[in-house]
Amino acid sequence: MSAARSGRARLAYRNFMYDLIIVGGGPAGVAAGIYAARKKIKSTIILESFGGQSLVSAGIENWIGTKSVSGFDFSQMLEAHLRAQEGIDIFDGDLVVKVEKEGDSFKVMTRDGKALEARTILVASGSKRRKIGVPGEAEFEGRGVAYCSTCDAPIFKDKDVAVIGGGNAGLETVVDLFAYASKIYLLEFGEALKGDPITQEKIKAHPKTEIILNAKTLEVLGDQFVTGLKYEDRKSGENKELKVGGVFVEIGSIPNADFVAGLVSVNKAGEIIVDHRTQESSLEGVWAAGDVTDVLYKQNNISAGDAIKAVLSIYDYLNKK
Amino acid sequence: MIKIYTTAVCPYCKMAKQYFEKNKINFEEANVESDAQAREEMFQKSHQMGVPVIDIDGEIVVGFDRSAIEKLLKARS
Repeated sequence: MSAARSGRARLAYRNFMYDLIIVGGGPAGVAAGIYAARKKIKSTIILESFGGQSLVSAGIENWIGTKSVSGFDFSQMLEAHLRAQEGIDIFDGDLVVKVEKEGDSFKVMTRDGKALEARTILVASGSKRRKIGVPGEAEFEGRGVAYCSTCDAPIFKDKDVAVIGGGNAGLETVVDLFAYASKIYLLEFGEALKGDPITQEKIKAHPKTEIILNAKTLEVLGDQFVTGLKYEDRKSGENKELKVGGVFVEIGSIPNADFVAGLVSVNKAGEIIVDHRTQESSLEGVWAAGDVTDVLYKQNNISAGDAIKAVLSIYDYLNKK
Repeated sequence: MIKIYTTAVCPYCKMAKQYFEKNKINFEEANVESDAQAREEMFQKSHQMGVPVIDIDGEIVVGFDRSAIEKLLKARS
């Protein structure tokens, strides 16, 4: 157990006011931490784990300066870079559950019972997986319904599987399954796949793939484990069934903004609305960056850049006060 | 005895192994990708198919759930 997680550290920080608390350990949070430390802003970062959603990627090939890196190595790179900084307190393995405004400052509460105070907050908590919400999905989670192909693809050796979602994550899941599954159905709700053309070409050329467009998933079927999937062909209106032993769900994400609910303005999707020049939210003293915001493109490189923009704006704000 | 059921590239498996290594706690690793018997054992113990599965003296943790692991380790020492 690290010192940061012991009661002693908690006591030491009581009544201590940070200038900045960063929430999240993905590319946005870590970029912010590095810039904040180098600007000598009195800051702390609270994060559950390093790497963000890319942690589960088999290979990231567009992180600028790196030809290809696994999600795990990416998370280690971010962690090592942040830990090389002096003057930033890192609380890892914990999760922010609530932020409250108290006069001119903010109080941040964590799952493990920490309460920290700061003059400014940067929300870089990213997003979490969206679930389909059909019968059988929750019941068979871990029993054929899977959300991490990098982790679980090998377990579906010689099985027919379905992948739901034709975006980048869905396409990458199909690629992860090539080496193991005997047949892969890729179901997309819309009229065309949405992921990168380069990956689309790769999977279309592969004999194991069958692409099903206009497919609305209705139910995951099974007994002890998954045995099939029921979907509606949205063109014909006909209900169809696939016999599969696994269902991988990759249908996008939901922003992790619950802990600032009611404090800042969000859009219909629940994303924090920011001023894209500065990353400021609707509430003075709160900034946000990365996938938790209404940024149009959810990308590691953009998240890092936006978080840096936020820290520079926070630096100006703190110096003006 | 601590046994971790893994696949080769799974990041949460690596995080779990790293956690035990950092805390200098011995564990045995079983790769369910190459070892069919280990795969069957993991299904039996956890009644599910996701990795990692961590067996701490017979108590089963599915996924790298750090607080659940810490609780079991505390009870152990």
